[in-house]
Amino acid sequence: MLGVHEFSIAEALAAQVQRHAPATGRVREVEISVGALRGLEPEALRMCWEAVTHDTPIAGAILQVELRPWSITCSSCGRTWTSPVPFVACACGDPAPVPTAGDELDLVALTIDEEEG
Amino acid sequence: MPEGGRTTRVPLVERVLEANDEIAADNRVELERRGIFSVDLIGAPGSGKTALLESTLRALQGRRRPAVLVGDLATRRDGDRLARWCDQVVQISTGQGCHLEAGQVRDALGQIDLDGVDLLFIENVGNLICPVGFDLGQAAKVGLFSLTEGADKAAKHPYLVQAADLLLLNKIDLWPHLSFDRSIFEADVRLLNPRVPLLDVSATTGQGLDAWIAWLER
Repeated sequence: MLGVHEFSIAEALAAQVQRHAPATGRVREVEISVGALRGLEPEALRMCWEAVTHDTPIAGAILQVELRPWSITCSSCGRTWTSPVPFVACACGDPAPVPTAGDELDLVALTIDEEEG
Repeated sequence: MPEGGRTTRVPLVERVLEANDEIAADNRVELERRGIFSVDLIGAPGSGKTALLESTLRALQGRRRPAVLVGDLATRRDGDRLARWCDQVVQISTGQGCHLEAGQVRDALGQIDLDGVDLLFIENVGNLICPVGFDLGQAAKVGLFSLTEGADKAAKHPYLVQAADLLLLNKIDLWPHLSFDRSIFEADVRLLNPRVPLLDVSATTGQGLDAWIAWLER
């Protein structure tokens, strides 16, 4: 099932970008921001993006994925840090600091090459 | 860079799933307006979603007026099982879709006489990942884990654990046959979601069903 999850997200994103795409010019880059809770794998998402946008007006647009990490807070020593994974021990010895993350899945910018005249 | 053209970066902040979320919001308004409590039941394939709903619908006969939407890639088997206990069941075939979407729920609701309904179960496609992030317009999201999936399952699916309004641990009748470390499972759940209720159930023996139904009826 590798990429199945990413595939449906890529489809939704492609439809969304095409709604925003200008009548003239070309979408060159698409930037999204993804919270760690979503469990999306950027490389799988990029591969699905290429497949989904192939043969569309936005084919060739590069997908940039900003993956926002987990925020870890240790209730024993108060330290806070970010981590790509939720379950990590604290350097102070506490084996289970509290992980939190967002589930944002946002289109944050499009870069468009506009044609002259 | 095209000749004579220019490149512009256009900032936006728009949810990628906004189209789905707008339909979900409409579904939610409609269900609330009608006083229908709706549940999106999410669990792995084989976790016992359909079996749980069969037992639940049987127990609710004469007490509530439920309707059920069942999502599956193919076959009408789950819908047929549930139709024994409920006369308002709609099977949604998603084809290759690994989760239900708000538009499918909207269309399925159109096939039900909602005037006679006070409780809606949405049995999502068997999958612990994709369905969590697709709002359907439900009042509550219920995560179903089962003993046979192993005690690490909650840690592996933090999104469902954090997003759930209720977690169920099914197949509790198999406890003597399995080495399921409940302290690990529960510790992981609490770390991810300190306040979510966690109920042990057995869809087949009926253990724990009363507490689940009490939660539904509150």
